[in-house]
Amino acid sequence: MNGSPYPVIAALDALTGALFLLTALGVVATRQVLASLQLFIVQSLLLTLSAVLLGIALESIHLFAVAVITIGTKTLMIPWLLRHTVSSEVYRTREIQRVLNIPTSLLLSAVLIVLAYVITNPLIGAVEVPFAAINLPLGVAAIFLGAFTIVVRREAVPQLLGLLAVENGVFFAGVAIVPSLPVIAELAAAVDVPVITLVMGLLTRQIHRRLGTTSVGELAALREH
Amino acid sequence: MLERIAYNLLQVFVLVAFAPLIEGVVSRLKEILQSKRGPSIFQPYRDIWKLLHKDEIVSDHSSWIFRFAPYVAFAAPVFVALLIPVLTRYPLFFAFMGDMLGGGFVLALGGFFATLAAVDTANPYGPMGASRTRMVGFLAEPVFIVVFLTVSFVAGSTIPYIVQTRWVTPIANFFEPSHVLLMIAFLMLILAEDGRIPVDSPSGQFELAMIDRSKSLEYSGRGAALMKWAGAMKFMVLTIIFLNVLVTPWGLAPEGSGLAGVLIAIPLVLLKIFGFILVLVYIESSLAKLRLFRITEFLGAAFVTSVVAMITRLSEI
Amino acid sequence: MELTVILLLPAITSALSLSAIGRRYAAPITLVSAVVVLVLATVVAWHAAYAGRIDALDQWLTCDALGALVLVLVAVVSFTAALFSWGYIVGHRGHHSEAEIQRYYGLYNLFVLSMLAVPLLANVALMWIAVELTTLLSAFLVGYEDTPEALEAAWKYVVLTTLGAVLALLGFLILYWGSRVAGYEPFTWQGLVEAAPKMPPALLWPAFLLILVGFGTKVGLVPMHTWLPDAHSQAPASICALLSGVETTTVLYVILRLFPVIGVAQGLDARPWFIGFGLVSVGIATLLLIYVRDFKRMFAFSTVEHMGIILFAAGLGGVDAHLGAAYQMTGHAIAKSFCFFAAGMTAMTIGTQDIASVRGLIRSSPLAALTMAAGALAIAGAPPFAVFVSELAILKAGVASGQYAAIALLSAFIVIGFCAVLFHVNRMVFGVPPAGTAIAIATPATCKATLALAAIPLLLIGIYVPGPLHDLLKAAALAMGS
Repeated sequence: MNGSPYPVIAALDALTGALFLLTALGVVATRQVLASLQLFIVQSLLLTLSAVLLGIALESIHLFAVAVITIGTKTLMIPWLLRHTVSSEVYRTREIQRVLNIPTSLLLSAVLIVLAYVITNPLIGAVEVPFAAINLPLGVAAIFLGAFTIVVRREAVPQLLGLLAVENGVFFAGVAIVPSLPVIAELAAAVDVPVITLVMGLLTRQIHRRLGTTSVGELAALREH
Repeated sequence: MLERIAYNLLQVFVLVAFAPLIEGVVSRLKEILQSKRGPSIFQPYRDIWKLLHKDEIVSDHSSWIFRFAPYVAFAAPVFVALLIPVLTRYPLFFAFMGDMLGGGFVLALGGFFATLAAVDTANPYGPMGASRTRMVGFLAEPVFIVVFLTVSFVAGSTIPYIVQTRWVTPIANFFEPSHVLLMIAFLMLILAEDGRIPVDSPSGQFELAMIDRSKSLEYSGRGAALMKWAGAMKFMVLTIIFLNVLVTPWGLAPEGSGLAGVLIAIPLVLLKIFGFILVLVYIESSLAKLRLFRITEFLGAAFVTSVVAMITRLSEI
Repeated sequence: MELTVILLLPAITSALSLSAIGRRYAAPITLVSAVVVLVLATVVAWHAAYAGRIDALDQWLTCDALGALVLVLVAVVSFTAALFSWGYIVGHRGHHSEAEIQRYYGLYNLFVLSMLAVPLLANVALMWIAVELTTLLSAFLVGYEDTPEALEAAWKYVVLTTLGAVLALLGFLILYWGSRVAGYEPFTWQGLVEAAPKMPPALLWPAFLLILVGFGTKVGLVPMHTWLPDAHSQAPASICALLSGVETTTVLYVILRLFPVIGVAQGLDARPWFIGFGLVSVGIATLLLIYVRDFKRMFAFSTVEHMGIILFAAGLGGVDAHLGAAYQMTGHAIAKSFCFFAAGMTAMTIGTQDIASVRGLIRSSPLAALTMAAGALAIAGAPPFAVFVSELAILKAGVASGQYAAIALLSAFIVIGFCAVLFHVNRMVFGVPPAGTAIAIATPATCKATLALAAIPLLLIGIYVPGPLHDLLKAAALAMGS
């Protein structure tokens, strides 16, 4: 942050990033589906905030487009889609089955965050881009945590939310490293997220209808014997 | 010189005098939030007064530790109040005696004696609460260590007077992610250390579910009064460290402002504490108490938050 | 012009299949559309082979020889699979309602569209979307049978491949970052090759690894292959043919596109990674082939093996090895789709996919037995078939380039895989059928027609490669860089 041409925005962006990371940790640790969904929405809002901050600093209209798209798809469309496809799963209050207990998963998450910093270090050193030093490691950490969520959660909707958290991580890194990605690519990516949600939501509903459960981790009919 | 000794003693006086008031305000606010009227905010003073005038009954089977513990528990926060910035921005006479780690050790000593005393009586509830307190303590310990390490790494010092100015000069530092995360982690620590919801229910009367309060169940009369007072002071000390060192180091008397500055600082500090209490009461009222084995998860979350704070700090974000 | 029509036609067909017309005519219009796309793709490939690149729509669409090869393969298999679907999905529909069949065709056409779009879209970000859509659009096709196993397979397929694709997205963003740093604006493969020498290797390298691992998941490279045998064994046979025959190749095409980009960069060498991932995939897949119990899974593992061989060949470098890779892609697409048609027909007549409970197929269902045997020989790499020729070419190129240890390993693995496949198929085809093996259903005529049609290139291409195809393969090999 020191020596950055935009000290205040850099500080605010770093704060946004820290909270972004906390929400990613929350998605790993929460017990209830609805809480994960709410954390995911907060995470998407923080992604939007970061895009706006960087948009102001770098005077890039593309980033405002990213912000608008993120708000539209991730905070409005995804909850709507989930409500319409798997509402019984999302709004039922029960605990999510998980492979690891919460303290262990949180400790492993801390290790993953350190790893994210270690592996992104050479990239940041190679090219001087404002904000990449903040957003890239945090984005990669969120990717790791999202993937980790998919591993430790055995149920369909939490796995879906983990996948969407990975996507958020990619875009959190993306707004800093490619602030001028063509709008058409952003639009296409924006279409992608609701399609993922829709497909996986419908698939979850089909699995629930057919098998009476959404614990996809329990399904193990297919393997080498 | 003498002035500084006087101010230092004034700090102790503020702590001893206002700690029960703060407890009274907390419980009153909580009752109001639950649509009840609640006791007067001065009720803790009356309780302490009443207990001080009652006979003390001590079990024949207990040792000197049981009699000695209330005094240690009472003295620990008083001693810490000499070290930390309660009213002034500049170090006072006794501040050289210990840094933040020293303060932590002294507070832990009070808790240690309270635990020993609880085991000492052979009352079945005492040791149970004591072991649970220890469990929470063990789990909170790593968080404490990481928070202190990070704080001292940032400020280059473990002296609270140096730390407090670091976060607000320039003001952009306040929004540093490591700072915000540390605040969150420390707030969770206060909840755990002081036995507040979601870790423990301070107003619960059910002995089996108690964690912190069951340690003083066996005390009566003067011992009970001291334990109660000590508990209130410990909470106030933790709050003051949180507010004056980590969160809002404003409103303290600057160097050279004399007695007037220190006296003005008293209401300002109390006002800050009142603001913090509002937040605390909101947290306590909106959460449910965790099951005992979920406390590990709560403190695990605090630990990870503090570790993330440290990582973001070390990588120079 | 042709490129635009190729992308428009499946979209229109999909809409028609879902409309009222589709209730009766979804299968025939899909077939007609597939034929037209095939013809147009052939025309495009002809131009690409002789005239280099074709552009359309203000350079948003482009197609060079390597893209044209993939385009033609997708068009061929989508045509045969459409014909097979007619008998397999419509003719013997089981418990599926009309609406479900309509939805099948709607998604089928969109799935084909997404695969056709991958080699055609010039902008790399858009191409990423197309790859991502291949997964999302085919998820319900994998789960079409609606059995617990099929749904499990579909779920694993979506979660793992989407996760891989999102990782690859980060790789592409870093690539774009790198090309901006190097001062190049258009985010196309051509632009990347031009920008690569000026890109900082610290950016290019992680981008390459992310894309290799991310899209490698979708290709089925070991160790990211775990979903592949599940999805490729549970989907309906027509979809398996598309998934195994061309979807994997289409995504592998994207990875191959990176090879020239890395090749011109300073101080980076993608070859060891290609060879390493290729060898591991081939090795693990051939070992798993020995233990496999389900004949559709067997073909799926063979796909993993073939993808490994193609990656290996690409990693060897040089025109000869790349020609082998292009030839292997062609042979794989044709033979593997044929195998899945044969497997689908066998499963339809016998009613099981379990290798152990199939015996004496030659007596109970001679047509199924014949096609199974031919398909197995073709994918295992027996002499008159294309895979044999391409594998031989790759091994020769490897020996010429001096990679003796790798070549020795590869040939050992190929021999193990060959024996494993033939061992299983031999047990199924010959012997005495167990008592009570009922021939469940007579094979629909369109399925027979599909096998007959698909057998022509299968038998022919190993013996005689037509001149234009040879030129296309040559041009594609050159496009893979050196």
